[in-house]
Amino acid sequence: MAMMGAKDEQDSSTKIGLEIHCQLTSLQSKLFCSCLCNYRDKEPNKNICPICCGLPGTLPLLNKAALELASMVSLALGCRIPQNIMFYRKNYFYPDLPKNFQLTQYNTYGITSIGVNGRLNYGKKSSRIRRIQLEEDPGRLVYESNGINIGSSYTLIDYNRAGISLVEIVTEPDFSDPKDVRIFLNKFTSIIEHLGVCNTKLEGSVRCDANVSIQGGKRVEIKNVGSFKDVEKALNYEIARQKTMSMHDIKIQAETRHWDDTRKVTKQARTKEEEQDYRYFPEPDIPTILLGREHASSVNVKMPELPDERKDRFIINYGLSEHISQVLIDNKELADFFELTVKIYSSPKEIANWIVTELLRFADDDSLIEAKMDSSVSSQTFLFAGLKIGAKHIAELAKLVDSNIINRNAAKMILTQISKTGEMPSQVLARTNVLKTDDKNIISEAVESVFRTEQFALRDAKNNPNVANFLLGKVMKLTKGRADPKITLHLIKTKLDGLS
Amino acid sequence: MVSRETITYLCGLSKLELTEEEIVKYELQVEEIIRYLDKLDSMTLSNIEPVSAEKRFYQLREDIAQSFEYDPFGNAKNRKDNFVKGPRII
Amino acid sequence: MSKLYNLSANQVYAGIRARDFTAEEYIFQILERINKVNGKVNALILIDSKGALEKARLVDRKVREDEKRLGALAGIAIGIKDNICTKGLKTTCASKLLEEYVPPYDATAVRRLKDDDAIIIGKLNLDEFAMGSSTEFSSFGPTRNPWNIDCVAGGSSGGSAASVASSECSASLGSDTGGSIRCPASFCSVVGLKPTYGQVSRFGLIPYANSLEQIGPIGKTVSDVVMIMNTIAGADDNDQTIRVTYNTPGYALPSKRKMRIGLVKELTEGADPEISKRIYSAMDLYTSLDCYCEETSINYVEYALASYYTIAMAEASSNLARYDNIRYGFNFSPDGYEWNAYFAKARSNFGDEVKRRIIIGTYILSSAYYGKYYLKAQKVRTMLKRELGLLFKKYDILITPTMPVLPFKIGEKIRDPIKMFMIDIDTVVANLAGIPSISVPAGFSNGLPIGLQIMADEFQEQKLFDAALLFENETYIDRGPEL
Repeated sequence: MAMMGAKDEQDSSTKIGLEIHCQLTSLQSKLFCSCLCNYRDKEPNKNICPICCGLPGTLPLLNKAALELASMVSLALGCRIPQNIMFYRKNYFYPDLPKNFQLTQYNTYGITSIGVNGRLNYGKKSSRIRRIQLEEDPGRLVYESNGINIGSSYTLIDYNRAGISLVEIVTEPDFSDPKDVRIFLNKFTSIIEHLGVCNTKLEGSVRCDANVSIQGGKRVEIKNVGSFKDVEKALNYEIARQKTMSMHDIKIQAETRHWDDTRKVTKQARTKEEEQDYRYFPEPDIPTILLGREHASSVNVKMPELPDERKDRFIINYGLSEHISQVLIDNKELADFFELTVKIYSSPKEIANWIVTELLRFADDDSLIEAKMDSSVSSQTFLFAGLKIGAKHIAELAKLVDSNIINRNAAKMILTQISKTGEMPSQVLARTNVLKTDDKNIISEAVESVFRTEQFALRDAKNNPNVANFLLGKVMKLTKGRADPKITLHLIKTKLDGLS
Repeated sequence: MVSRETITYLCGLSKLELTEEEIVKYELQVEEIIRYLDKLDSMTLSNIEPVSAEKRFYQLREDIAQSFEYDPFGNAKNRKDNFVKGPRII
Repeated sequence: MSKLYNLSANQVYAGIRARDFTAEEYIFQILERINKVNGKVNALILIDSKGALEKARLVDRKVREDEKRLGALAGIAIGIKDNICTKGLKTTCASKLLEEYVPPYDATAVRRLKDDDAIIIGKLNLDEFAMGSSTEFSSFGPTRNPWNIDCVAGGSSGGSAASVASSECSASLGSDTGGSIRCPASFCSVVGLKPTYGQVSRFGLIPYANSLEQIGPIGKTVSDVVMIMNTIAGADDNDQTIRVTYNTPGYALPSKRKMRIGLVKELTEGADPEISKRIYSAMDLYTSLDCYCEETSINYVEYALASYYTIAMAEASSNLARYDNIRYGFNFSPDGYEWNAYFAKARSNFGDEVKRRIIIGTYILSSAYYGKYYLKAQKVRTMLKRELGLLFKKYDILITPTMPVLPFKIGEKIRDPIKMFMIDIDTVVANLAGIPSISVPAGFSNGLPIGLQIMADEFQEQKLFDAALLFENETYIDRGPEL
């Protein structure tokens, strides 16, 4: 009892806050210039212009749609959008910054960022959102070593990514358990995907830094966490590290640490005391943007359906269970696939079942992992990228099962086959004649055959009620799944009764 | 009071390398100028909002992609393949 | 025809159209003139003879074959201050940090001049990054005053004003952050306009202080300045701080009108006695021309200089951060250097004045001092704007001296930054408030020019032109020094 109490105390005093950076990948152009937003497959420095390179005399030209998408994110996370917004310069030097300042938003001198004071519910818990801001991504550094010297003697800089729109979401330190952080991030991802503002499967499109303190102590920032999946791991490591230190009475420093993904540890980067004075001031080249009161409502009208709303709709309109609905909306692709299929053939429960229990298995198949790795595949059906079948296949399959033309086992086998060939189920049927056989003669012949070969089983029949099912399995195998299980079982039982 | 430490700190923030003479000279000159700017202190302006240019949402740039047909780094000398070459990080 | 270089821009345009001379003839004479006098004056730091002659021939062909489509500035030789980007022509801001920089694009103002068939003759000297009031802080050496080559030409657009005064071009573009067009215009006895903030696109103007500056025209006459202004001002998608929607303001050639004029007492009395006298006699002249004149005051003038320098240096410190010699700059390879050391070493090549302003600007923006200086300075602007708004309900225009001093000897004020700052006292008001202001030649004292500054409410440039032309027509001040 005492142990559990101690654990509770520690848990509630652990404070975790998140800083999420999310690229607005669905835009056409960058945040302050007309360069293409999709920079990923371009040769270095081929997706740039005088503005995003910081050439002297150029001026930032704010992208209207970026503001709109960022507004949607704000509303989806329950934030208030102020009536006027401004941009600020965050001044610091670094080789990946073309202007040696970053254009971002800042609320210290007045609320001027795109969203404040929000809240996101995840499961039974919720976390407050402190603020949401729009800002630009820097360029990318590539390190190279000059063959003669040890280590890098120069850095290579690629500005293709410079100026890409980012939305930064900062939460209050409302988390105390890394597990909750994972659930929160999943919910967040689902929302972002449903809004259509970011394709989270693109490499580097979402990043999450975290800060954590235990027992009211100093706050440690964890940066360089590669993906959302690693955040829970990094937090668990860091909390354990801090607890160990405090057990040995070592003071925990306020500092920034980097997550090392290979060694799975956090390493010291720089102490917070050395942190820079960023000398924030309003960007003179971008006027204050007057959004007014109508802005939030006009954005609301354009908002796509959010995951929670969709889940409710699945339950109410399609009669799906809470569990199945949750699985579907947790990954937007599944939900989209489901609705597409239902449009073709309206049998929601049956179709949902096929998708959740059977189709998902194929998505995990090793042969499809390669397809997932290809980051240029940015279409909505990324999950099923290597799969050769689509909504119409599942729709037809469900229809065949519903009309009792084939049984479930047969359908599963057909699914396996068509997932590799891409044929329609009806084509396979026509070819292999997999129709349910209810021809009693064929079935009884098969039963006779099995009874002859499974003599040992027959001896157990009196004591073992499972023998019937065993024999059924054998008949199904013999008839290649064509036999109607109901009729077959009835025949077997009758015959067994006849034996005793 | 603008001290030598202040000047060195500011140079660190703004990435300026100064000679010894410059540091000494600027210590005095910067102090003098800041003292002149302290004139602003004699005003109490707490309720005034700073004036700023304004724009409406519909006046912003449309989200249309367009490529820049020239190489922005035209005659820059530090290039390797298509990268821009910069000093090392560590 | 000879001495074509002495013609005003309007006269050049008319002469070419009337076929009194060809553009090529005219440009030849301009180039000869430059050859003769630039060594003394040092106004031009880059001369594009090839480009200019090519364009001249193009203009001549248009005159022969396609006259209807001849641009509004056809054939006029115009110089461009070297902090304004010209595609394919080196643009250095008179700084080592941009020594080799060739922009891949034209500033909007330059493109509009070219579209109207103007001929860009070359780039003009300035204080490094436009920071200065005398064009002594240039890596190309000082620009000398054509009226007295031992004296400064004013700054930071010293080259722009001196080149017009010495007839090395018919008109020029300068930039004005705290007086940088009007000061040299006054010192060189030419006309210079700082437009309303938001009238002329800043796309391509390499910034010193973005919330204060505008590109503006300098010419021998008020009509020339109007002519250039009609070409360069107007809406531009490349600048989101533009506050106009028209394509061109279409200012009419000024008409005589009865004006209500306020003479700003503190600024007039605060100038050298010779200058004060001139401004008061200007007031008398206006009165004799049926205008209503009286003395008035701007209370917030007292804080204007401190407010201006606070904002300007703060913005400058951030605007100049990008000069780390990686993407553009001078020949200095980064190989082997650690990045902090490389940045600091490269940037040590800024001039004295620039370094000083970066340091102070950094201090001002640091979080400990942001409220004390920058925020307060911005609030002063609000108060100043309000006060001027009330004054402009009473008066059409306000007049003051452009400069409180006569052109001083080269080297005289350079060792004392605050002394140098003080001479901006008359001009910074217009930048802080964003209102238009023009300087017109008002006479001489000991052979050194005096300028009259006229200010109007925002977007009321027409009133400036009316008042300026009125004055110009009645005074016949010399525009052409012997060189």
